[in-house]
Amino acid sequence: MSTAAATAEDPDAGRPPSPLPRTPVPPAASSPSATPAGSTTPATHVVPAAASPTRFDGDGDLAERRARASQSFWTAVVGVPAIFSVLRLGIEAGGELQTTLLLVANVGPVNLLAGFLTTAARLLSTVLVAVFALGGVLAVSGHRMRRRPLFARWAEITPSWFVAASFLMALVTWPLLFLPLLLPTFAAAFQLRPERLHERPTVRALVIVAAYAGYLWLLVPTLRDAWRQGEVLPIALLVVPPVLALFVAGPLPRVVIRLLAPVTQLAVLVVLVWAALPVISTPVLPLTVTTVGQPDAASAGAAEEIRGHVVTTDDVNMVILQERGGVRYVPVEHVRGQVLCPSEEELPRYRLRIHDFHVEDSLLEGLGRRVRPVHRVDAACR
Amino acid sequence: MSASLSSFRWRSVATTAAVALTLLLGAAAGCDSRQEPDLPSVQEKLRESHIWGQPVLRVGVADDEPLMGEVRDGVHIGFDVEIARYIAASLGYEGEHRIEFVTVSTEDRIPALQGGIVDLVVSSFSITEDRKKQVSFAGPYFVTTQEVLVPNRHRSAIRTIEDLRNPQYKICTSGGSTTEAELEKHQVPTLVVKDVWDCVKGIRAGKYDAVSSDETILAGFVARHPTEFEIVDMPFGTSELLGVGVPIGDPALRDLVAYFLDKSYQQGRNGEASPWQTAYNRTLGPWLRSEKRQPQPLDVPKLVDFDDKAPRR
Repeated sequence: MSTAAATAEDPDAGRPPSPLPRTPVPPAASSPSATPAGSTTPATHVVPAAASPTRFDGDGDLAERRARASQSFWTAVVGVPAIFSVLRLGIEAGGELQTTLLLVANVGPVNLLAGFLTTAARLLSTVLVAVFALGGVLAVSGHRMRRRPLFARWAEITPSWFVAASFLMALVTWPLLFLPLLLPTFAAAFQLRPERLHERPTVRALVIVAAYAGYLWLLVPTLRDAWRQGEVLPIALLVVPPVLALFVAGPLPRVVIRLLAPVTQLAVLVVLVWAALPVISTPVLPLTVTTVGQPDAASAGAAEEIRGHVVTTDDVNMVILQERGGVRYVPVEHVRGQVLCPSEEELPRYRLRIHDFHVEDSLLEGLGRRVRPVHRVDAACR
Repeated sequence: MSASLSSFRWRSVATTAAVALTLLLGAAAGCDSRQEPDLPSVQEKLRESHIWGQPVLRVGVADDEPLMGEVRDGVHIGFDVEIARYIAASLGYEGEHRIEFVTVSTEDRIPALQGGIVDLVVSSFSITEDRKKQVSFAGPYFVTTQEVLVPNRHRSAIRTIEDLRNPQYKICTSGGSTTEAELEKHQVPTLVVKDVWDCVKGIRAGKYDAVSSDETILAGFVARHPTEFEIVDMPFGTSELLGVGVPIGDPALRDLVAYFLDKSYQQGRNGEASPWQTAYNRTLGPWLRSEKRQPQPLDVPKLVDFDDKAPRR
């Protein structure tokens, strides 16, 4: 294999490759696999990056790319939620033009944006984490390719604080069950290897074993429940990722990179579209059941329950967008009661908890349930 | 040199495997989060049951069993009625305009369920193997024993089952009840009437000398006439498990009722104020000789509901 041939003469071959350079240092300067494919030129023959006259040009190029990327980024930050929100209003209105216009007239842009962020934060952080993790892996290995993979270039021009913020957002918005996946993705994005823990292998091994044992000890009740319920995926998702985090950093063989770069880029795009559909169709307004009846007490039995989203209320009418479609204008004196209802999408898949935190809750949701622990489903919601 | 080469190769393979596995797990997690829950939900069961879409839930209750089910000022009250209200509210029927209480006598409980006159029966309905062939039961929601109620004039004379066999005493019970079968088993001659209330009225009129029924029902009559009657503890040796009767052709509704009874049971176990405990304290509690707890319901299905994620502690 060419890599082996290239590294056989490389005195640094046994050393681990350096972490992903978030400062503009060409990867060729530090990686043992930096030589072009099939080349037998040892890596030591490469002119050190700091001394290279091309370094300055590279810096300039990178600065320009960063500036362009920054513009694109802020355009996306403003544009994507705006477009998504308008799309959501159209879907919420059931595709009816007049209903869409009614929603546009009554749902404020700030509410719309806040609603969008509430429901899309998980998707957004997932995409960012995937891009940066893959970018980290591709960047440390992709310099062998003639054209550097897209994610690798993105990862390089993105400031570290933004990458860290993306992981932080994932930490608080992802379901607890998926949080262990953040370990290998974080290690991949920042190219963190166990060698950073301690220079002595024995101490390193001890630290890793102790940390992993402590982690498993924390999860024992959950793993036991999952085993009893025959749920294999939650066990795998909780146990395996921390182990993967130990090995995930480092360059990949060229043949893998060639396959991985286009496939993962396409996959992330497909996943983005696939996962965006439910986000677009998530309601903008909260689901309620409004009990409506004649104002006189004698007709207590003739009450009607309207399930839908309250668009607006004024002195005369309450405007309700019904769950099954259509808008109802209900005179306010006819409204007898109103309750907030959960939607069926909120039903959990698992009966597993991690120390009383449901595995499908995010840290934010779990903490929220600690603040308001009683959850009552009103009879009218059934 | 070769050692470092082999180490590098090993590291390369390990990295490849780790990246592949991480991608695989990520994909599996993504697919999993988009799937429907494996366990049936309360909403699904509701859609399967015959009450789905019904504007009103019809519940069969007694109207002549003080503390358990009676009508006072036109309003149904009692332990059974409170349990019925809790189940109805859990099923989506809250408020008097959504529940129709249908008065059923002891012997009419099974025909009322079979004939579709009521959707549920919560009326001191003992769970027995024979009855299980005709209706379904959810529960038990109460465990009681069979006792005997005697008027003060016989309080020293009727103390044992042997005394009940004495032909000079006329022992009364309601027809179609488990008590009737139990007394027959102990060779106690009985006079069978429609309801226990008829027995009590007969005793007060001097027509009968004692009445046998569930302790819960008899406690109601003691509560109604505290200076006239006394409950005598007799070793009949059987426990009556009271359950909620459901039409045999509607297993989804049975599952739902069992699920909500269990929910109340779990709340009680966690030290919270359960609907059962509230109903008990307001009705039976002060009148029973020993404190009772909600029994664990049997055959409770595993269902998911909206409040499953709420903290338990």
